[in-house]
Amino acid sequence: MPNHPMPNLHPVAPAAPIAPATAPRPVALELRDLTTVFPGDDGPVTVIDGVSLAVRAGGTLAVVGESGSGKSMTFLSALGLVATPGRVRRGEVRIDGTDILHQPPERLRRLRGAVISMIFQDPLTALNPVFTIGEQIVEVLRAHQRIGRAAARARAIDLLARVQIPDPVRRVDDYPHQLSGGQRQRVLIAMAIALSPRILIADEPTTALDVTVQAQILDLLADLQAETGMALVLITHDLGLVAKYADDVAVMYAGRLVETGSMEEVFTRPRHPYTRALFRSIPRLDGPVDEELPAIEGQPPNVARLPPGCAFEPRCTVGRGRADCCTRRPLPLAGDRSGHRSACFHEDLPDRKEAAR
Amino acid sequence: MDRLLRQLSQLAITVFGIVTVTFFLVRMIPGDPAQYMLGDYATEEALATLRAQLGLDQPVYVQYGLYVLRAVTGDFGSSVVTGRPALEEILFSLPDSAILAFAGLAVAVAIGIPLGILTAERQGSWSDMLIMIVALFGISFPVFWLGLASVLLFSQELKWFPALGASSGGGVLTHLHHLVLPAGVLGISVAAYITRLTRSAMLEVLGQDCIRVARAMGVPERRVVWRLALKNALVPILAIVGVTFAWSLGSAILIEVVFSRPGIGSMILKAVSARDYQLVQAGVLVLAVAVVLVNSLLDLAYGLVDPRLSTR
Ligand SMILES: Nc1ncnc2c1ncn2[C@@H]1O[C@H](COP(=O)(O)OP(=O)(O)OP(=O)(O)O)[C@@H](O)[C@H]1O
Ligand code: SF4
Ligand SMILES: [Mg+2]
Repeated sequence: MPNHPMPNLHPVAPAAPIAPATAPRPVALELRDLTTVFPGDDGPVTVIDGVSLAVRAGGTLAVVGESGSGKSMTFLSALGLVATPGRVRRGEVRIDGTDILHQPPERLRRLRGAVISMIFQDPLTALNPVFTIGEQIVEVLRAHQRIGRAAARARAIDLLARVQIPDPVRRVDDYPHQLSGGQRQRVLIAMAIALSPRILIADEPTTALDVTVQAQILDLLADLQAETGMALVLITHDLGLVAKYADDVAVMYAGRLVETGSMEEVFTRPRHPYTRALFRSIPRLDGPVDEELPAIEGQPPNVARLPPGCAFEPRCTVGRGRADCCTRRPLPLAGDRSGHRSACFHEDLPDRKEAAR
Repeated sequence: MDRLLRQLSQLAITVFGIVTVTFFLVRMIPGDPAQYMLGDYATEEALATLRAQLGLDQPVYVQYGLYVLRAVTGDFGSSVVTGRPALEEILFSLPDSAILAFAGLAVAVAIGIPLGILTAERQGSWSDMLIMIVALFGISFPVFWLGLASVLLFSQELKWFPALGASSGGGVLTHLHHLVLPAGVLGISVAAYITRLTRSAMLEVLGQDCIRVARAMGVPERRVVWRLALKNALVPILAIVGVTFAWSLGSAILIEVVFSRPGIGSMILKAVSARDYQLVQAGVLVLAVAVVLVNSLLDLAYGLVDPRLSTR
């Protein structure tokens, strides 16, 4: 995470300086056409629909979107962790050019935790209440390495120190209920980085924590990323965090990717009407930025009953009622060389509301 | 320590409740003990004398007060049939019933818990469904039916096990040989129940966040289920075992009757038909206290399993 100074969120403000043009870093994780279905009352419901995106080594991809837009499910699918009766119907998850999804379960298990790790929103329920935090870290180590008890315990203590838990030698024998929320999230991070994975997916890692602790946890993640060069996927509702930490942004709506691009591009020139609506509802210029994703007009979509065309059409101030928007599905296409893509037929048209102003 | 004191006072209150309930329950058995003991041709006078002797001529609340007062000193009256202290009679036959109940529970736990875990692990598979259907049958069949059927099959037809009684003489082996069939029948009927409840306890835990986290970190599924999830499910599973202990003691009584084994069950059955109030009272009380004691011990065990409960 670059942790660059906060750029202005207003679309016309100049972007923060772009990182020096060194050779692009290799892609660490790539999703191609990932599609996940759950059985529903009237046939299968597609909750993740053809999501393709990439994260570079050492880079940070922020994933934003309304609640229920499929942010968590996308990456649970990528790790092969979709709970039954859901299943990944289509697509690939590539790490170093090999598709990991279509491998024997045991191979996939070995990759989880060791090469690609995930931490979750709620540190209060994410730790196992009947094991000490030391036992839980050791469990992860021993899932992947032949390591003796004493050595594993020593490693656990090291890891606790690394995530800045004070007095780790004593804390290692604590149970989760003896720790604060922030400390529990640190323990989870310790578990997730125990085997130095190349990719870490952080699913709203700070939503359940208070603001000062949030900043500490994110700074910890940024430090760890700087040390290890791991790729980070930051799922969040908080556009302020996106601006502060992300290199790239992916915007999801109704299980589909509607816009991707570099953080600067998406923040300064949002193309998809949904993304524009998100930024429009943010206070202009120097307003507070660490704000939850703003609610936008209209009903959130029900993925079991999407309109046949663009999923955003019923709420879209540009395309509502347009023939093409109602009948055909826009696909995310690269708009220019920067890789900024959006899935909209009319991204060049202004919003009707804005035009009226 | 605090915890222990609280447990003990709870225990005392429960026992008092049980004493009260059994007293009134026993009074609800139809028939007059004096009449029963003296036969149909007894004179009215003789009956009156006997009733006075037994204290049955007093109002019920006086009888109750006296009963409680005596109970506090450990005196539960004497069996009107044998004349020996009722508690002594019951405690004398307690080991027979306890051995059967514990053996049955051990069989039930050994079958039910692993099966419950396995079916939770394979939820929705055909093996899961098959086992759940069998378990449902196991729960619905009355235990004495199972007992009779197994006597017919294994004793009469196959002659593998003795059908009746518990060897009074003989070594440990003959004793065990007599125990296999009744304990097996008891265990299997209770196992069905334990299987179902263990499965649902495990399913609940397996759906929790911390399990998803363990999977996301690559912990092998066997470890996830048999260590990480199982320890979480242990408190509800222990609670299930506590409940089934009461049940297996109850079933043990039925099974004693089916297999004509000595024990509290057979004794209570005889006492009821003889209107031997004191003996029935003492018998039911001892059974109830046994159930309560076992559950209190399990309560203490929860603290060992779940750290959140022990640091209260
Ligand atoms: N077990 C399930 N059965 C059916 N649908 C499910 C199931 N789990 C999730 N979904 C659906 O998957 C979709 C995506 O959910 P997901 O949790 O990924 O959203 P999210 O973007 O992470 O939301 P949030 O911001 O609230 O975390 C939702 O529409 C949800 O209804
Ligand atoms: S395709 Fe049409 S409906 Fe969909 S976002 Fe673009 S303009 Fe709106
Ligand atoms: Mg989510």
